[in-house]
Amino acid sequence: MNDYRGFWVFVEQLQGRFSDVGLELLGKARELADATNTYVGALLLGDFSEDKARELIGYGADKVYLFSHEELATYHSLAYTKLICQAVIQEKPEALFMGATPLGADLAPRVAAQLETGLSAHCVDLRLGEDRILEQIVPGFGGTMMAVIICPEKRPQMATVMPGVFSKLEPQNRQGEVVSMAVELTEEDLKPRVVKFKAKEQKTVALEGASVVVCGGYGMGSKENWQLLEELAKILGGAVGATRPAVDEGWAPEEVMIGQSGKIVHPKLYIGAGISGVMHHVVGIQDSEIIVVINKDPHAPFFEVCDFGVVGDATKVLPALIEKLKERLQVD
Amino acid sequence: MPEAVVCVKPIPDPKHWDRLSLDPKTGVLRREGIPTVINPLDKHALEVALQLKDNFGWEVTVVSMAPPETTQTLKEALAMGADRAYLASDRLLAGADTLATAYTLAGLIKKKAPNFQMVLCGNMSLDGSTSQVAPQIAHYLGVPHITHVSKVETEDGSKFRVTMDLKLAQLVLEHQGPMVLAVTKEVNLPRLVNIMGILAAESKPLEVLSAADLELDPSRIGQEGSPTRVRNLFMPEIKRRREILKGEPEEVAEELVNRLHQAGML
Repeated sequence: MNDYRGFWVFVEQLQGRFSDVGLELLGKARELADATNTYVGALLLGDFSEDKARELIGYGADKVYLFSHEELATYHSLAYTKLICQAVIQEKPEALFMGATPLGADLAPRVAAQLETGLSAHCVDLRLGEDRILEQIVPGFGGTMMAVIICPEKRPQMATVMPGVFSKLEPQNRQGEVVSMAVELTEEDLKPRVVKFKAKEQKTVALEGASVVVCGGYGMGSKENWQLLEELAKILGGAVGATRPAVDEGWAPEEVMIGQSGKIVHPKLYIGAGISGVMHHVVGIQDSEIIVVINKDPHAPFFEVCDFGVVGDATKVLPALIEKLKERLQVD
Repeated sequence: MPEAVVCVKPIPDPKHWDRLSLDPKTGVLRREGIPTVINPLDKHALEVALQLKDNFGWEVTVVSMAPPETTQTLKEALAMGADRAYLASDRLLAGADTLATAYTLAGLIKKKAPNFQMVLCGNMSLDGSTSQVAPQIAHYLGVPHITHVSKVETEDGSKFRVTMDLKLAQLVLEHQGPMVLAVTKEVNLPRLVNIMGILAAESKPLEVLSAADLELDPSRIGQEGSPTRVRNLFMPEIKRRREILKGEPEEVAEELVNRLHQAGML
């Protein structure tokens, strides 16, 4: 087991564009590798030039394993699994991380099963124990509990990690190597056949980098009341997020959902209005510097984790807050 | 007739999760007295199978790995319309992670439904939320898998067109032959149980099998066969000011703006 060295990241791509979570994981892998004197490997599958692959070196990779083939431009679970497993068996990394995206959640378990190793899902943190074993922090039961998962006897240690929990590095001018890997695919590897690919319109969501996040829940009551959040966010120069129930009501798009199955945010200021505060949502905002909670139910669990709590109907408190802020900040 | 196998997971009723606690001495999760329900997404998986039964005469088999007292929960799946259920239940299976669980369920499927045309799972369970078991079952069965399935279409019950929702994109895939699908709630609206279904369920076969019955490799099941371990569990630590403001909207708004200003937030 001591032969296994290096922290690897599978960098997901869509239409040739690297996923943010892949770059974030390269940053984290860099930190872990520096702490243990080893290297960072990036796995890139798609239809790529070596020059494009080289960009990953700037984000922290020492070696980029490039599998370039036109069939790999679109995700094929069996082909991806086969190639990744071949590289792992050959190079023996101690850990392999993927984003906890739908694609990562589809691919990672199959890779882990083929390698007969352990995999933890939706990690919100990774750290090294004193024994150099990777500690993978996973929320369970909707976030009511946190579990520290380890994989003591099998390698690589595998984890899928929530987007947004780590920060990507500013691209640097670093030394590194692109290793072009052989790609041999059979007809069976490309089953089931992809007959259609539809990219959804990518709306720019300012949420992840926002320094202020205003978030609404079911207690906002209506799409009309939702405008109050937009207005407040505008005054504070922030972005609007939503809980699962608010998204289900159609008041906000799925892309702005915050929580365990949505986005993780860590703004300076978070304001949650009409949100009861189930842990599922709280895990997505708990690293905010200041948490403000507005809810008419004084027993709402969200008040347990707030810095400032306002007991009151959000649809009445928000207009008053908007007025006061306009006065204070002298905006119209 | 072709056979669909539906994997069902009994979980502690999410309505009662506030009653979960940690044993302060052992650090083990206490879930006594919390009722068990079918993981909600698994009902959507079952509905896909039941529609294949309604439209093309498929057989529907439910499989599960859980403690023996969950047979009552599996009866709900039979009441919805499944033909039979198999429960792998054995102390030797306890402590399984997703890999050992998938190995066990795949073993159960190979033993009891070897000619399956489709295995269906919920895309994730609400308690563990790993979404890992379906692709791992597919690995052990040696068939392709598709997760995040939001649509399943077929004209003849043989060739399938499946939509996979990747959030930023959608893939439409076609396949003929055995496969594993993990479905999201967008795929359908599960039927409700009616009294006829409940009465019919009483006479449907529900068999409990041990690890020995399934001829599983003891080194690959339960805790022994699980590469991952829980090193410890903890409740998230919360260090917050928790200053609660009450009063008329104008008063609390003023007060809040002052606090935010003092905290350097404005």
